[in-house]
Parts: sequence; C-alpha cells; structure tokens
Amino acid sequence: MNWSMVRRLIWKDWYLNRAGILFSLTGGLVTLGLVAASRGSQIAVILGIIVVVTILIGMGAIVMASIVAERKQQTLPFVMSLPISYWEYTTAKILGSLLIFLVLWTAMLASMVATILLAPGFAHGLIPFVVIMSVEILMSTCLVITVGVATESQGWTVGAAQVGALSLNGIGWWIVRFPDIGRAMSSATVRWSSTATALLAAELAAIALMMAFTFFVQSRKKDFI
Amino acid sequence: MIEFAVEMSGVTKRYKHFTLDEIGLRLPTGSIMGFVGANGAGKSTTLRILMGLVHQDAGSVQVLGYSMPDQQAPAKVEIGFVSEDMRLYGSPTLGWHMNFVRSIYPRWDRAYADTLMRRFDLKAEQKVKGMSHGQRVKAALLLALARRPKLLVLDEPTTGLDPIARREVLGELMAVLADEERTVLFSSHNTLDVEQISDQITFIDRGRILKSSDKESFLDRWRRIRLVLPPESKLPGLPGVVNVRGSNRLPVVTTDQFEPAMVAAYQQIGVGVQSVDAMTLEEIFVASVESRREGSAL
Repeated sequence: MNWSMVRRLIWKDWYLNRAGILFSLTGGLVTLGLVAASRGSQIAVILGIIVVVTILIGMGAIVMASIVAERKQQTLPFVMSLPISYWEYTTAKILGSLLIFLVLWTAMLASMVATILLAPGFAHGLIPFVVIMSVEILMSTCLVITVGVATESQGWTVGAAQVGALSLNGIGWWIVRFPDIGRAMSSATVRWSSTATALLAAELAAIALMMAFTFFVQSRKKDFI
Repeated sequence: MIEFAVEMSGVTKRYKHFTLDEIGLRLPTGSIMGFVGANGAGKSTTLRILMGLVHQDAGSVQVLGYSMPDQQAPAKVEIGFVSEDMRLYGSPTLGWHMNFVRSIYPRWDRAYADTLMRRFDLKAEQKVKGMSHGQRVKAALLLALARRPKLLVLDEPTTGLDPIARREVLGELMAVLADEERTVLFSSHNTLDVEQISDQITFIDRGRILKSSDKESFLDRWRRIRLVLPPESKLPGLPGVVNVRGSNRLPVVTTDQFEPAMVAAYQQIGVGVQSVDAMTLEEIFVASVESRREGSAL
C-alpha cells in the first residue's frame, strides 16, 4: 500500500470539499460550545443535539458527494491516471470520508457524555443510550460510504442516506423498549447492561462488516472507469 | 532500454454487447503509434486495459516492462494519460492541479510546464470550470506532458477541438516526439491527425485489430487502380486485391500489396490501366474496414 499516495488523495478530497467541511465543523463545534456554556439547560442540550445530529447527517452528504462526484463529473480517469491502484483509491476514499466525519462525531459524543456527567439535572443512566445512538449515526454514515464506493451511483447512495436517516428514529424507538435500557435511562448511575453491550457490539460489527464488504466488492471489480 | 514499450498478446475483454477479441499489439520504444478506429471499435477499451483501468478477461499486457493490471501503480509513474472523457476538478485552478501533480511525480519539469502554459495560452490562476473545451484538453495535456513520461497514452485527445486548438495540440505533440525515447500511443477516428504525427499505424474495428504497420508501408502498398476492361471480358483475380468497385467495364481495384508488376500483369492480359492513385490514410482505413465487414478480401 502506497500510504503517501493515499495521504495525498485524502488531502485532495478535503481540499475539494473544504467549504462544506469547514462549515460543518465550525457549526458543530460552536453548537457544542453553546450547549456547554448553557450550564446544563435541558432545552439547550436537546436543541444542541438536534442541530449537531442534523450537521452530522449533512456531513453524510459531503461524504456522498466526494465519492459519487468523482465518476459523475468524469474526474475518475484523471485520478486513476495517477500512480495508484484501485485498492489505494478505495482506501483513500473511505479513510478520507471517515476521518472528517469522526472529528465532529467524536467531539459530539465527548461533549454529550461530558454534559450528562458534569451538568446538573441529567441522569447518568442516559449515557449507554447516547453512546448506542451515536454509534448508530456512525453506522449510517458507513452505510453511505459502502453503498457510494461500491455502486458509485448517486441514486443508490441517496437511498442509503435516506435509510440511514430513517433508521435513526426507528432504532432509537426500538432500543428504549428494552427494559434494561429504557429503565436505566432515568438511573442516577451509568448501568451498562448486557443488552446495551450486545447492541453496541452489533453496531461495531456491522461497521466492520460494511467496510470489509466495500473492500471485497472493490477487489472484484474489473472496470474502474 | 526495452525494445517494446507496449506488448499486448491475446487480450480479450467481453461485455454484453461487445468483445475485444484477441488483441495483439507491439509498440516499439520511441515510436508514435496512431490507433485508428470508428466510434465503438474498441480503442478506448484497449487503452484502458493498457493503463490497468480495465482488467482483461484473458491475455497478457506488458507496459514499460510492467505487467498490467497488477503493476499499474509503478507503471503509471512513467505514463502520461489523457482521454477525451477525462475532466479536471472544476473549482480549483490550473495552478492547483499543477502543484498536486508535481507533488506526485518526481520528474515533474516546472520550466517545461511554464513553457507549455505560455504556448497553450493558459493561466495558472484560471479555474478549470471557466475554461473552454479546448483549454481543458490543453490543461490535461500539460499535466501529462510536464511529468516527462516515458509513454504517453492519448485517447482521442483532439475530439471536439476547433481547428486552431487542434493544430496547437498536434504541434505540441510533434515537438514532444523529438525526444526519441518517448513513446506515444494516440487513438483517434480522425485519420488526418494520425497521418500527421504517427510513424506506426494500427487499425481496429469491432474489437479486432485489422492491420498494424509503419506508416510508410501503409501509404506505399495501398493503391487504387482504375482499369478499362475489353468488352465481354472478366476482371482476372490478382493477389492483394482488397475490393473492386465501379462498373463491370470500368472497375476500380483497391490493393494493399501494390507493386509495379501488378500494372504490367493487367496490361499483359489486355486490361487497360487508366491510372494508379495513391490513397490517403482515411481511404485506406475505410477500405480496410469495408473489406473486413464484407467478410474477406476478394
């Protein structure tokens, strides 16, 4: 693997999407800062989470654009004329997309956990739910990346983004119905039940599987432009 | 120095409605090959296989000594590729593209890039999305040429260019060819462009190589002979006749193995020879394709 070329391709994608990335990162981090400054106001926290989740979903669109636009705008022949293999191209697309998403995602998750732990008025028992839902958002983005890279089709990738956005509500609604998660949300202490651990493990396994599937599909492709 | 910059043997690629069939192609190092075919003949597929961008179903491809597609990454360090459907990124400037490519290619020639920019009347600070088609093609050529590649692969680079831009692009290609170690493979359906710059010519049609030879041999061997047959006589079959057009009385014979002895042979049997005309590359190409499509040489 030529990591030097992978780094250059990632830098290139970040540069090309710099306006969207800067807007999302700035918007997300400012929102999280305002939530922290609200000293635990529940309304501020809820509004803040809504804004940040919206920005994260919006970042999925940036990821999608970075992947699908290469073929749609016919820049793929230019990229593939460079001294790279398709394996390196795929790695750069996945890593570049994930890294930029993870910056805001990690900041969001850390801020939410810190707010719950440090601000007055929040039940610490919310933390497992928040972590599971955050990983679900990450999983949705990975789905967009997988479908985008594997199909290079705007239609399919938009479909994947819609499935991911809809599943956020569905999965949230579904997991609070597990007694040891739903009841624990109002608990004063963090309770990691076996159900919560299993759900988190399933999400992480799904992410790993999607990434492996993406590389598998790419390795079987015979026509790249 | 390796003898052949490109060696393809038995290369086959099957699609639902098209098959590239047992392509064999050898391009001597330092030569300029014009790869001529109609739209959909298989030119782009062949060049993409050569670049490792499409994987062949069968056959072997060696480019500059690298086996494709497995060794495409190191091979592409030494190849410049420009295709008609290649686009640069719209928002960044040409200067950004030059810096990006320069960061990848150790042999990037900054002075030559500046020279090309002046010659092509391009500006580094110009955004690609504001460029005309001709300017975009020139920008892509600049990015490929300033890498100082050992092999230049150009897939229909002059398609869609106005006559002035075409002349500029072809002029620069001819200048590039002064470097005897550089090899160029240049596909086009425009035989005039190919005739101007190539020293080797290969015809492809419907996924098969029809003919491949040096340009002079093509132009020397192909002739159109206008004959006058005596009444009630039939045209005798001679070797090398590709097709016969015209009327029964005044046939026009096209041959790909012309020798002066052919004229003498016709005259000996009482057939009048009105004229022996040299053929342009376009006429040779059309005759080759028609002959193949009609099934066989006569």
